[in-house]
Amino acid sequence: MNTKRDTIDLLLQVAFLEGKITTHGLYEQTVLKRKPLVRSADAVKAALSQRLEAALLSNRSKATSPLTLGAFLRRLREHQSLRPQDVISRTGISSNIYKMLEHDRISPLKISLKSWKAMRQFFQIPLDALEDMIRRTHQLVFFRASFRTTLARYDTRKNKKMKAATLEKAAEELFVRATLPLPQKEQEKLNAFLKALAEEKA
Amino acid sequence: MGFFIASIQIPPAVTDFRYFSYRRMARFSNQQIVRELKEGDRLGCRHLVDLYQERLLGEATRVFRVPRLDAEELVSDVLLAVINKINTFEFKRSDGDFHYWLMTIFRNRVRDFMRHRAQTDGLWENFDEAALEDDETYSATEREVVRSILRNYEESLGSPEENEGSAKSSARGALEVIAEVLDQLETWERVLLRCRALEIPYEDIARYTGKTAKQLKVYHARVKKKFLNLLGRQTPKVQ
Repeated sequence: MNTKRDTIDLLLQVAFLEGKITTHGLYEQTVLKRKPLVRSADAVKAALSQRLEAALLSNRSKATSPLTLGAFLRRLREHQSLRPQDVISRTGISSNIYKMLEHDRISPLKISLKSWKAMRQFFQIPLDALEDMIRRTHQLVFFRASFRTTLARYDTRKNKKMKAATLEKAAEELFVRATLPLPQKEQEKLNAFLKALAEEKA
Repeated sequence: MGFFIASIQIPPAVTDFRYFSYRRMARFSNQQIVRELKEGDRLGCRHLVDLYQERLLGEATRVFRVPRLDAEELVSDVLLAVINKINTFEFKRSDGDFHYWLMTIFRNRVRDFMRHRAQTDGLWENFDEAALEDDETYSATEREVVRSILRNYEESLGSPEENEGSAKSSARGALEVIAEVLDQLETWERVLLRCRALEIPYEDIARYTGKTAKQLKVYHARVKKKFLNLLGRQTPKVQ
């Protein structure tokens, strides 16, 4: 701010930033050639590096985290430009159940084998992919309640909306990170369901 | 002997990790940084910061006069955007593609900052006018021409709460007159004005204009005057 600044330069800079005038890449080249005149403290640089690393990790986990049934169905439906009503009318699932399924609010085990068969035929989902997602989603739905209770003890937010959103996000993060084994009884139930689903195909 | 080895102290400059990372930096290409970031390698973040943080900070504070604290925030936003969008980036022509892509993000962020400043404090109010008063480079009428264009620009942006889409198009419309007046100048004059506004060295501009750097230095003030004159004639369009 100490150096003199010309009004014309300011005007031209605004025009440049708004895309009204161009330097045909000369400015970008100059930036590369210019020695950085401003020095930044090592602590500032280290903090920024950490922030970027965290963003990189979170992007990576988002990209590699396995899909749940809800996320999968929603993406597939949107990809095919369908409305929930279109799926409901073609598969015979009740609208409430389908909406809960898209939001991973219901265990896939609660849906009849007949409905699953219709869904698989409608979306052309391979059985092995469907099995993986059913396992994951059942695990998420089964553990979600306990995640929420645990997290609620640590959460001090007063705003109810914010609190719910934080818990929801935290529960999902926990699910992605955790590989919690289901209780034996629950596991048996899941295996039996998946076996029946496979036989349904045959 | 054991005591002797234990008492040898390695100079801190050699053990400092930053020393090694700096030495390595000089050999890093943009392609390497992009590859590291796409693979999720944390080292890519450090290289990105080492290569661009001070560079962009310098551009924001020195060329666009963004206050230091705002500039630091702006630069970290730019680098975060690079991290978040790295998977959408592809090299098409050369290693420089990444630099141009990053500079586009930087330019957009600076533009957003300028717009925000225009909507809240006003661009003219942030301008260090005292320096010009002493100079007596421009007359009051000439100054008023510039002021009216900037005012128009600020008004076209409206308040920060207003519809962003319509603000953008009307903001560009308010600056239409600048492009029109520049078109009336000779090519070398146009290049000189545009480039010096972004503090591109005279020597670099000389390569594109066929005039020497010394000549350009002399002509710069005159060309500015000419530009202002033409701008003054177009003022009715602005108002």
